[in-house]
Amino acid sequence: MSEAAPPAGTPLAEYYAHMRPRVGERHTRSLGVLDAVTIGRYALTIGATDPVHTDPAAARAAGYADVVAPPNLLAAIFEWGVGTPEDELKPDGTPVRNDDAGAKLRSMGAGEQMEIVADAVAGMEILEEEVLDAVVAKDTRGGPCVFVSTLHIFKTPDGAVLNRNRRTVVRRNPEGVA
Amino acid sequence: MTGSDKTGLTVGQELPKLSHVPTATQLFRYSAVTWNPHRIHYEESYAATEGHPGLLAHSHLRAALALRCVTEGLPGWRLVATDYRLRRPATPGMTLVYGARVTAVDGDTAELEIFEEHPAGVHGLEGTATVRRADKEAS
Repeated sequence: MSEAAPPAGTPLAEYYAHMRPRVGERHTRSLGVLDAVTIGRYALTIGATDPVHTDPAAARAAGYADVVAPPNLLAAIFEWGVGTPEDELKPDGTPVRNDDAGAKLRSMGAGEQMEIVADAVAGMEILEEEVLDAVVAKDTRGGPCVFVSTLHIFKTPDGAVLNRNRRTVVRRNPEGVA
Repeated sequence: MTGSDKTGLTVGQELPKLSHVPTATQLFRYSAVTWNPHRIHYEESYAATEGHPGLLAHSHLRAALALRCVTEGLPGWRLVATDYRLRRPATPGMTLVYGARVTAVDGDTAELEIFEEHPAGVHGLEGTATVRRADKEAS
């Protein structure tokens, strides 16, 4: 796998040219309040049966202020709040974010580094600081792609960090494009 | 880093494996609870247009399962960090086996390698997890 700019004239090349200069951009936004139902549903869906995720009494007995989120819940929530109206979603179903140039591209999670500093419990207001960390073009066995790494810092309004996660997403040209 | 100490963990020690077969229903519910509208996770015909072999299990779902192997295998320990990469896609109906093996122990901290094994014997997810002995601090 070698570092190489995407083939000229492709949607991936357009995306790379659009994103590369934006490395270092930083945004902070409020995500709202993490609620107990979300925590319980997430735990149910991943098969985590520890009652600290669903039963406030069990959570308190274990030393938490309320039901506690499984470790990667904050990182896994795709959209907070009410989300994006359907007619504003891209063809692949994902919302348009800060990367309009990538609307035609295929996208898939590639990996993540996560540091869990403190537990996230129900009732916490959550802020997210997002930093565009790296945009790297590579030529892989599967063809040209662009790896986009973003640092997400989840914290409370008083600045206490809950977790930091650096997520990498791989973007590829649409099927049929070199 | 030492091979073994008062923690009771030993380098090379394997945690109980967690076997899981994701279903389309689970993927749908995971999309719902995380408000993830990406069609590759719930619309098989769309996933095919992107060249995928079927619906794709979410990367975070797979990571959550791998981390369950660690947290459920080490009661009394707290997960403090993880780092993982996805090597291959996972689809509903596949038997995914999640495992973890202690690679280092240092005082109240231990490192483990984590993986997701596919039926072909290859890894779909590989990474590490760092755990620390829980001290019951309240959140």
